[in-house]
Amino acid sequence: MDTAQATDSEQELIEKLKERDPASYHLAVRTYSPGMLAVARFYLDPSTAEEVVQDCWVTVIDAIAKFEGRSGLKTWLHRIVANRCKNKLRSAKREVSTDFQEQLDPDLADRFNASGRWQTPPKLCFEETAESLLENGALSDCLDKHLSKLPETQRSALMLYEAHQHKSADVCNILDVNASNLRVLLHRARQKIFLMVEHFQETGEC
Amino acid sequence: MLMCKDLAGIASDYIDGELNTGQNLSVKFHLMMCSDCRTFIGNLRMSTKLMQAHSGNVPNEEFIREIDRRVHEALEQKKSRPTDSD
Repeated sequence: MDTAQATDSEQELIEKLKERDPASYHLAVRTYSPGMLAVARFYLDPSTAEEVVQDCWVTVIDAIAKFEGRSGLKTWLHRIVANRCKNKLRSAKREVSTDFQEQLDPDLADRFNASGRWQTPPKLCFEETAESLLENGALSDCLDKHLSKLPETQRSALMLYEAHQHKSADVCNILDVNASNLRVLLHRARQKIFLMVEHFQETGEC
Repeated sequence: MLMCKDLAGIASDYIDGELNTGQNLSVKFHLMMCSDCRTFIGNLRMSTKLMQAHSGNVPNEEFIREIDRRVHEALEQKKSRPTDSD
């Protein structure tokens, strides 16, 4: 099910892309490639993922003529990338493996005692806004570093859901995971980011 | 009764409003009594806001320029050699 229709300004961009306007392609490539790469990295190794995103843009030039705006442009582009990745995986007979059993990150699970109470509770409250916290460039860099260390599946789910603001149904569709597995991926990724931010706030170190 | 560890396992669903009514109530009840879990939920919520505000793993400039180059090359080719759909 499509959950995001194309907006007016997006519709304008789509028309320009259909007219093959170079400046609009330049803008679209900058705007949408990060999300497309996040999708590709869910399925493929870094360099193959970059190749797929590049190839997709070339196919978009012709394919956009048939785009009717029933979904948002971003969702449409992400699906193209996902489909291409899935075809590539099928031809290489590779499986995407993910552990969906554990709800808690091991580092977080260690902070509870046998009776399930906090043994090492969170000490600090983050009282500033997200934007003011991010003004600290070191935190932003640290976030990047930890994001890149997350398992590909968790990172892609987190990026599409949080940073690229896709609805759950779209993320499931693009990444080919069911709703409960998506929830596990999100849980685990958020816990890692929580642990990282907490460590950073306590020690000032990444 | 819901323990702190159980709550941590479903905290993300709680934040996104994905719990059923019964689970939601037991989380709220637990949070009324447990300041550690209130801090945990607050901080987890902040972590998700950080992710929303963070532009994420921005691909390197070279990668973007390479796409730009390939797209423009393809646009030029199609200009000089229109496809069947034109």
